[in-house]
Amino acid sequence: MGAFITRRLVGVLPVIVGVSIVIFLLIQLAPGDAATVLLGPQATEAARQELRHTLGLDQALPVQYFAWLVRTLSGDFGRSVATQLPVAALVLPRFVNTLILTLGSLLLAIVIGYSVGLFAALRAHSLFDRTSMAVALLAGSAPPFWLGLILVLLFAIQLRWLPVSGMQDIAGNGGALDVMRHLVLPAVTTALGPAAIIARIVRSSVIEALGRPHVRVARAKGLTRATLIKRHVILNALPPVVTITGLQLGYLLGGALLTEVVFAWPGLGSLLYDSITARDLPVIQATTLLIALAFVLANIVVDMINAALDPRLREA
Amino acid sequence: MELRRLALSFALATTALTAPALSLGSAHAAGTLIWGMPAETDTLDPHATGGWSTYQITYQIFEGLVKEDLTKPDEPTPPLVPGLAKAWEISDDGQTYTFHLREGVKFHDGTPFDAVAVKFNFDRFWNESSPDFYKKAKAFVIAYTKWIKRVDVVDPMTVKVTLNASNYQWLRQGLQSYGQPLMISPASVKQFGNDGVALHPVGTGPFKFVQRDQGVKTELERNDDYWGAKAKLDRVIFRPLQDPATRVNALENNEVQMITTPPWDEIDRLVSEGFKLSTNKNVPYINYIHLNFKNPALQDVRVRKAINMAIDRAGIAKEIMHGTGKPEYGMLSPGTDAYDPSFKGYSYDPEGAKKLLADAGVRDLKLVFELPQYGTGELVETWIQRDLKKVGIDVELRKYEWVTYLGKWAGGMAADVSMNEIGWGMSTPAWIGIVTRCDSAPPGGINSGFYCNKEVDKLLDQAIVTRDPVAAKDLYQKVNRIVMDDAAYGPIDDDLQPILLSSKVKGFVNPPEDWYDLSTVTVE
Repeated sequence: MGAFITRRLVGVLPVIVGVSIVIFLLIQLAPGDAATVLLGPQATEAARQELRHTLGLDQALPVQYFAWLVRTLSGDFGRSVATQLPVAALVLPRFVNTLILTLGSLLLAIVIGYSVGLFAALRAHSLFDRTSMAVALLAGSAPPFWLGLILVLLFAIQLRWLPVSGMQDIAGNGGALDVMRHLVLPAVTTALGPAAIIARIVRSSVIEALGRPHVRVARAKGLTRATLIKRHVILNALPPVVTITGLQLGYLLGGALLTEVVFAWPGLGSLLYDSITARDLPVIQATTLLIALAFVLANIVVDMINAALDPRLREA
Repeated sequence: MELRRLALSFALATTALTAPALSLGSAHAAGTLIWGMPAETDTLDPHATGGWSTYQITYQIFEGLVKEDLTKPDEPTPPLVPGLAKAWEISDDGQTYTFHLREGVKFHDGTPFDAVAVKFNFDRFWNESSPDFYKKAKAFVIAYTKWIKRVDVVDPMTVKVTLNASNYQWLRQGLQSYGQPLMISPASVKQFGNDGVALHPVGTGPFKFVQRDQGVKTELERNDDYWGAKAKLDRVIFRPLQDPATRVNALENNEVQMITTPPWDEIDRLVSEGFKLSTNKNVPYINYIHLNFKNPALQDVRVRKAINMAIDRAGIAKEIMHGTGKPEYGMLSPGTDAYDPSFKGYSYDPEGAKKLLADAGVRDLKLVFELPQYGTGELVETWIQRDLKKVGIDVELRKYEWVTYLGKWAGGMAADVSMNEIGWGMSTPAWIGIVTRCDSAPPGGINSGFYCNKEVDKLLDQAIVTRDPVAAKDLYQKVNRIVMDDAAYGPIDDDLQPILLSSKVKGFVNPPEDWYDLSTVTVE
């Protein structure tokens, strides 16, 4: 297991460096630069040149990239071009907020997906199965931003139960409960699609496991239904489900970035949007790096869980 | 059985989560205004930023020597009033400005405001030989500082600024400058450094900075030691809400009490639900088209006139902007004191346009129109495309993401592009020169269609050194007539600056400017 984890972790490095280079080049390819954005329409070309020089944007690309790399490796993410604030102070709290939304959504997706899927499988072809799978199909196909708006209309504007924007009451300073209330709509919006997919996979995986010979044998030996399901069905149905759930984590992270804009959730999504609009390279670099890192680490965690569940994978 | 219990506990958990919401009223402190803004703002250092949405915040914290009175919505241009200078004199040659400073004013950190503080600020954004000079500030305040020859402290409460040429619009230019020449506490800059002003903005204004949570809110509170009429609100909170639908939802849910740039389609519904729509007909902001003088298809003035005549501006203002825009036919906006209400320009006349095109021998004209993609479906541009199609001109819309577009616009159009667009303006009529002068052509200027008429430049040179406002007005109006006779631009509409307010908000004044004086506002 140790060698397996080490192998996977070493593989992270080239991915992260690759991502940082690609992002760096992509931003350079886009026309328009920070100086133009910052100085606005009245600026003279001389003023733009001067600002570019002040910001170090007039240096050769490799020089800019390596300067950034050296700084980053020493833990200094630089300062935001637009706001003058240290990048780390900007990005880290936003990353935590995105994690709250992503993990909240993941939890919701798992709870809904697994319970609905399992119920449906255990009562295959019943009314509950048919209805839940039809709803799952709908929820899985609906674009999250549309779903978000519908939920807002119903639960916030009509019923006035839940807030529509932000992470906590802006005028007061709500605690954890206030954050939970604000989390409900964005988390449900982000989670429904993945929950639907998980439910369908769980259902088919469990149905398949139910039909396996060892389960039939166990049943013939007189095991109770509950023990049978716990010991023989769920464990055997899990590996494909865990893999799909891991893939959904990536989707959730991406989906959270979109949901953040709709619900003004102060995470990396809106920060990325703002910094791209301002061509704020230090912030864009740090943000994308964190997203890439989170994505890669999430995949490793999924692999580890699968390896733990299925010893055959550890040898691969 | 166990599974059932799991599902039940999940249902209970979600109910528990939503239940506290039932008891939620709006537990906001009395007298707090929360403003939903369409974008996050950049640094709160007024010398080192230019965006007007940022100025909407810094305007509450900082003040300049001269201010605009923003409490008079019906004035065509906000009157100039004493700010941190209680009086000023302009020498007859328009080159020397002497400011007499207001006594007894203190910055929010308790340090005194005086001539030394003024000198420090000018040193920061202008004087390259001063140890207090801040390069980035100069890059932003350049439109104001490029005129300055020297700054002298005459006595502890008097400062004299000498310009290198006559300019009677200089004070207005300072108020409209991209970076704002507002007075920052020298002690705060020395304590926190130039970068530190971003999180420690210390001015003399009616509101003091409390905190900023990037991407979430910027919070100000009333300055109880303010030298002038004290603000009524306890607090103002600025919230970036990029998504228009989110802004509307937040307003409806009383999470904000004011939103700017509301989606046009939602305005009528929200007004019918009791929200207040505030507009101003004198905002110095024109949406207009640059026509490209390097484009072979637009060399004939008749073609440029035909384009102007083919556009149904009244239709755009009514059907698309729902009355939040006013048709504009010239390049001097009603927000300048040189506005000419009698100027007619090219009224909507598709038949006349067709005839002009026929006279010019033009058939099957195909034009490229570059525009920014700003998420509202580009309705106005599609309308213009349809109007031009009616007179036989095929328009290809080329859309770009905003920053990409800004770079293309500021760089000037390529020869194969016929038109592009932008919306902005200033309350000084000298603005028309920024847009139309020969030496405003790119690179280094924003005359994106390379229009050049020496006669226009001559009149503008005259206007800037004309002290008599009536005579200056006459010159600017002449410039406008020549520019439109050349059909060099396609003005479309004046933005009426629609702002939606909760019915709890009282005393808000929508001034003829892009920033507002919030000291008069109360929230019930």
